Amino acid sequence: MRSLPPIRVPVVLVVEDEPLLRLFATQVVEDAGYEPLEAANAAEAITLLESRDDIRIVFTDIDMPGGLDGIALAACIRDRWPPISIIMTSGKPWPPRVAIPADTVFFSKPYRQDRVIASLQRMAA
Amino acid sequence: MGARGRRGIGQRPDQERGAPLSQKQDARRADALRGLAVLDTPAEQAFDDIVFIASHTCDAPIALISLLDEGRQWFKARVGLDVDQTAIAQSVCAIDVDRGDLLMIPDLTRDPRTRDNPLVTGPRGFRFYAGAPLVLRSGVVVGRLCVIDTVARPRGLSSEQAILLEALARQVADQLELRRAAQVSARLLELQSALIEIAEGIRASDEIVGMTAAAAAVVGRVLQVERASFGVVDPDIEVVDVEADWTAPGVRSIAGRHRFEDYGALRGDLAAGEPLVIEDVATDHRTADDPVAMYALGIRALVNMPVREHGRTVAIFIVNAAAARVWTPDELLFLRSVADRLEAGVARARAEQHQGILNGEISHRLKNMLSMVQAIASQTLRAVPEREPVENFERRLIALSAAHDVLLQKSWRDADLRTVAAAVVETVGFGERITLEGPAVPLGARAALSFSLVVHELMTNACKYGSLCSDGGQVALTWSVVDDGSAASLLVRWRERGGPPVVAPTRKGFGSKLIRLGLVGTGGTELRYEPGGFEADLRASIDHLSQA
Repeated sequence: MRSLPPIRVPVVLVVEDEPLLRLFATQVVEDAGYEPLEAANAAEAITLLESRDDIRIVFTDIDMPGGLDGIALAACIRDRWPPISIIMTSGKPWPPRVAIPADTVFFSKPYRQDRVIASLQRMAA
Repeated sequence: MGARGRRGIGQRPDQERGAPLSQKQDARRADALRGLAVLDTPAEQAFDDIVFIASHTCDAPIALISLLDEGRQWFKARVGLDVDQTAIAQSVCAIDVDRGDLLMIPDLTRDPRTRDNPLVTGPRGFRFYAGAPLVLRSGVVVGRLCVIDTVARPRGLSSEQAILLEALARQVADQLELRRAAQVSARLLELQSALIEIAEGIRASDEIVGMTAAAAAVVGRVLQVERASFGVVDPDIEVVDVEADWTAPGVRSIAGRHRFEDYGALRGDLAAGEPLVIEDVATDHRTADDPVAMYALGIRALVNMPVREHGRTVAIFIVNAAAARVWTPDELLFLRSVADRLEAGVARARAEQHQGILNGEISHRLKNMLSMVQAIASQTLRAVPEREPVENFERRLIALSAAHDVLLQKSWRDADLRTVAAAVVETVGFGERITLEGPAVPLGARAALSFSLVVHELMTNACKYGSLCSDGGQVALTWSVVDDGSAASLLVRWRERGGPPVVAPTRKGFGSKLIRLGLVGTGGTELRYEPGGFEADLRASIDHLSQA
């Protein structure tokens, strides 16, 4: 009997500049049963994405100071890592005249934890 | 033989001022005729009738309304003559015209002023002439109503004929002025209604581009120009960025950046806040040196009307014409009014944009704060074994946040009841099983927030105990405005159908207390646990609802 490979828990990269909200988002990911990975901005997120190949989902804030915002990060991910699913969240409404990228969902802040968890589960399945 | 006659007068020593005076009179006459806008216009019945009557009254084969233009006399109406103008030198009407009285020459061949006139010596053979002056209210004489015969009349006109000819001449002068007054007032009316149309366009638009485009289109049409545009001017009045640009069919746009210096000495007037008015770029001192750049854009005449903000020219309203043209005072006043209205509209749009950005920022911070509260509560309450109150808390927070979203879209002014209800339904779910039905009702900020909490609690209860907890259960959320004559009030009805058997709760939790606070936090709530389904009626006065 061959041994089964170890079960790998899907990895979710949380990108959020506000530490308290990052902590909360990380908790939501853990509650959903996945392994959270944290980044405080888009540059950190890209460094992590470049260094690992097990990230399945990126859960990112849109409004982040300096450098790339969440929308630019999502576009970059669509370009360089197409298989990764994206969840975006913001305290602002989704910007008018900007299309939501493929395989991406948007939640207005504050978001319902159960809905985010449902999206994570659908994307990880 | 008018010219000869006048030359003669000018040479007489006792009339030294004669020639300059006559020139001055000629210039006044030319101005008056331009003002009447009558030269080279088609025949009109009123004038034709008068020459017909004059011809019959004086029993003369020829009758003319002769207008004395520079270098020619032009006939507004004529009988018995087949040309519509002659050189001024041949004009008998011009002789002594500024005296303002009847000129009668019984035999043109014997009068030194006319005997060499080709109209007398030639095949037309004019012999008798009588002409009454056309005197405008300003005193300027613009021409004559005359009768001509091809046989000499030693006794001239009878005194009765002379009186009638003078009376008819007064009719002609009146008619010329009335006709012009009617044209001017029709034009004013046209400009006035264009201005109203522009004001409405500006009021209806929230964006500066929309306002200027609407104004440009109306101005272009009503002034019948080739191009009407709006351009933002830099603080030093060096360049203009033309944004909205209306052009007549086939005329190319000038949208883009233009440097004033490239077109002539245009900046001085604009910097002083004065309109730049050019009737002909080929002769105007500001552009005549090098009008090529203007020609390249197909511009021969133009107006740049400054739009001012805090005493500074910030933009210009541009009108271009392909042919030289006189801009009338009415047209310039009209353009001034258009610029004034744009000024007010642009200021309003800027203020609203600014307010919108501010509101967005406030809302953004508020929602981040609510997210922080959610994060803290979630971490703090992790250890609490009973999850339901924790989840209720989060959902109430989110319902409040949804109402804020709706209010923000309306810049914290009235939010529509249906939009608020729909936003809350969206946060909870089950949208397909809830029908919303009722007229548009504006809710003030406070009412929008408390109404959103009430709807949220009603939905939460329906999900736990009511129609939404069984498959196929429905909710109808309807509302109507009831006006009993003294004060209008809103009645909101919540009707659940198709749920499990209804049981009245034994304990009143926070949720039901929220519901009982009602639409504006002052009660007016009636709850009924009917066998068919739970029902709630919520009432509030419209006045209370619309208060912020």
